[in-house]
Amino acid sequence: MKIHPAAWAALVVLFAAVIGLQMLQAAQPPLATPEGVATNLLYVRSPQVLRRATLSFQALLADIYWIRAVQHYGGTKLSKAPNKQYDVLYPLLDLTSSLDPYFDVVYKFGSVFLAEPYPAGAGRPDEAIALLQKGLRTTPDKWELAQGIGFVYYWWLADYQSAAMWFNRAADMPRAPDWLRPLAAVTLAQGGNRASSRMLWTEISRNADADWLRDQASFRLKQLDALDGIDFIQRIVDQYRARTGAPPTSWDDMMRAGLLRGVPPDPTGVPFQLEPATGKVTLDPRSSLNPLPSAEHPL
Amino acid sequence: MKVIAHVAVNVFKESVRDKVLYNLVVFAVLLMSASYLIGELTAGQDVKIIKDLGLASISVFGLLIAVFIGIGLVWKEVEKRSIYTLLAKPMRRQEFLLGKYLGLVLTLFINVAVMTAAYYAVLAYMQAISPPNLRASWPAPATDPALLKAIALIMLELMLVTAIALLFSTFSSPFLSAMLTTAVWVIGHFNQDLRDYGATIPSALAASIARAVYYVIPNFSAFDVKLQVVHGQAVSLGYIGLTIAYGLTYIALVLLTAVIVFSKRDFK
Amino acid sequence: MDAIRTEALTKHYTVGFWRPRPYLALDGLTMQVGLGEVFGFLGPNGAGKTTTLKLLMQLIYPTSGLAEILGKPVGDVAVKRRIGYLPEQPYFYDYLTAEELLHYFAAIFGYAPAERRTRAAALLDEVGIGAERRLPLRKFSKGMLQRVGIAQALINEPEVVFLDEPMSGLDPLGRREIRQLILRLRDRGCTVFFSSHVLADAETLCSRVAILAKGRLVAAGRLSEMLAFEVRGWELVVSGLKDEVLTRAQQRYHVTRATRLAEERYALELPLTPPPERTLAELVGQGAALVSLTPMRDTLEDFFVRQVSGAQPSRFSESA
Repeated sequence: MKIHPAAWAALVVLFAAVIGLQMLQAAQPPLATPEGVATNLLYVRSPQVLRRATLSFQALLADIYWIRAVQHYGGTKLSKAPNKQYDVLYPLLDLTSSLDPYFDVVYKFGSVFLAEPYPAGAGRPDEAIALLQKGLRTTPDKWELAQGIGFVYYWWLADYQSAAMWFNRAADMPRAPDWLRPLAAVTLAQGGNRASSRMLWTEISRNADADWLRDQASFRLKQLDALDGIDFIQRIVDQYRARTGAPPTSWDDMMRAGLLRGVPPDPTGVPFQLEPATGKVTLDPRSSLNPLPSAEHPL
Repeated sequence: MKVIAHVAVNVFKESVRDKVLYNLVVFAVLLMSASYLIGELTAGQDVKIIKDLGLASISVFGLLIAVFIGIGLVWKEVEKRSIYTLLAKPMRRQEFLLGKYLGLVLTLFINVAVMTAAYYAVLAYMQAISPPNLRASWPAPATDPALLKAIALIMLELMLVTAIALLFSTFSSPFLSAMLTTAVWVIGHFNQDLRDYGATIPSALAASIARAVYYVIPNFSAFDVKLQVVHGQAVSLGYIGLTIAYGLTYIALVLLTAVIVFSKRDFK
Repeated sequence: MDAIRTEALTKHYTVGFWRPRPYLALDGLTMQVGLGEVFGFLGPNGAGKTTTLKLLMQLIYPTSGLAEILGKPVGDVAVKRRIGYLPEQPYFYDYLTAEELLHYFAAIFGYAPAERRTRAAALLDEVGIGAERRLPLRKFSKGMLQRVGIAQALINEPEVVFLDEPMSGLDPLGRREIRQLILRLRDRGCTVFFSSHVLADAETLCSRVAILAKGRLVAAGRLSEMLAFEVRGWELVVSGLKDEVLTRAQQRYHVTRATRLAEERYALELPLTPPPERTLAELVGQGAALVSLTPMRDTLEDFFVRQVSGAQPSRFSESA
């Protein structure tokens, strides 16, 4: 089959032009996504209507809504708009779990990112708990869901009584891991202490099956390490103050005094900061471990 | 040149006599009944819903025509052998092909034009019967001329889908052509996701495959400005111009490929 | 200049998707058709006649060899203005009427609207389509479609006309009309090239023929040169022939074939010698009565059958 050389040339030129124009278009700023347009993602607000309308394709539609939920979360998180909202995250997750109640990851994802405070998350621990409880209504013996509820109470709401109760309930469920019972006990006894938090996060990092959950856990553990680090360095700074009567003005003072061998870094390698007036050790504001859990915000 | 025009007019005649244009009746009835019913159900959101519904219908009906007639444009003539007498006349093969293409584009254009007129008529009615304070809350007037931007790009999308259907029609059976054309259209609409996918997944091989597909498959998602236009967001003329240039270049590429394939064929 | 000329025209197909085998549809066809001739292109089904016509119309491309019409290679657009083509079992656009079809084709030739109408009307009259010309073609019978096909082949007053099985689908009256049409075309100076497997038509119409079998040309030339028109035997039909008389006669008079037509009525094929009058006299003497005595000449059919059954299969045949 001979093709005229002019035809070949034209084909190549057009093909190159197509790709070139496509690249030009990709380089353009994306079209504006109007505010409130997020509601377009839902189309339908009522789970019952949606379930009936989709006949036999509920699982597929659940997948589609799941993808939308993840994109919505990711897109909003990455967005630089000043008033970004996660307001459809809960409805999307609610719809997804109504369409496919056994879709486990929806509950786990939801509980983490709904509870996470704004701007990294929706800042709605109540919605997180509601979602997890919905999951428990479908599968009453999934210990992960009960543990998730306990976790939200523990970490975000600082309600150690409720947290311990839920950890105990989780421990009662079949195939529950061994560490839940001791965790419940520790929580009840000294809720808010770093050791129990560390235990909780360590278990999560070991058992989580999703990357993002493991990443969360290792991040939290680093934060706890940073707190330990701050305490440790603070004690050394206090030694200096006791010795000289005034706080050090910089890390160099500490090194000259032989109390430190170098500038102490936080677990991400960013140096700690020393407030010269008060001698208080803190994280560098640019460190990615900010904001650290503090007294107001539960440990 | 004139030969192309004659073939094109013949294609249009065929679609008229095949009662294709009755879809316009269905469209008009759908839009008008929807506007009435929705007016009873929601307060204030009806214009947006009518705008959405209208644009979506123009797109869907147009697509159905483009695919279902497009896949048979060449295949039917070859299968029934009416092409034998036609090609024995002083007509080059490429004139035949281009005539067929332009005929279907003409049919689609008339289809879209009539639908647009009906669409604006319904919107004008809604504009007239809505109270002024409701009208003030709309992001854009009911008979917003910017809607034409979305419709123009829909027309361009239809022209590209027709070209693709025509290409498949030159060498494969209707069923296969319909599947392939629809597949290309669906993938082309998820093109944005392909690009994002390419940017986020760790496997370099999968990412490069995704990017390659993104560039090769026609980027239909770029033709879709319905969301922006309905919400009164600006769509720059530069964007429209670039998209039209892309669309026309792609159409030229597809048609050239079709001409090459068709010119070398034996009609057994 | 010849009206049509081919030189070693060959067409190879590959048949089969999984194990492609070659199939030689046409093997080295060399022939010429002069201007103004009525040329019969004959052969059994599957001989390659339609393949040749498609190659001439450039609906398919040759594997090797060349073909020319009116001195130019096939496919030349200017030449297409001067020819007409009727394919086998034509199909036209269902949704057009006969008139609209002819107007469309006339438009492709570039005729002005008024002229399109005159030509269409004249041709429809000539092929015998009356008021039905306003009906959509989907309502046409096979015979009527054939007539429309001939009309569209002549719309441009061509110099060379190619007809693939022009008589197919027509009743005897229709066939006669088409025969007369072809003769009228010849009288106007048109070259007519038609393929057929109905030999009677060729015998009455053609000045020259070519015979194709299994993709190869087995014979070509003037009919008068190819057939020996001398008498080669006699056919004697008698009645009242009793069985014993028949058996004796078969031996004595070298009857080559005896066909029983009815009770005691036979058609006997006799050689040239002994003279049939003598055989007849003797049979009459034994109680038979003469019905008819006809000379047997070599017909095109005999010639055809001889040539075709003797044809060698082409290099690659379907069974290979």
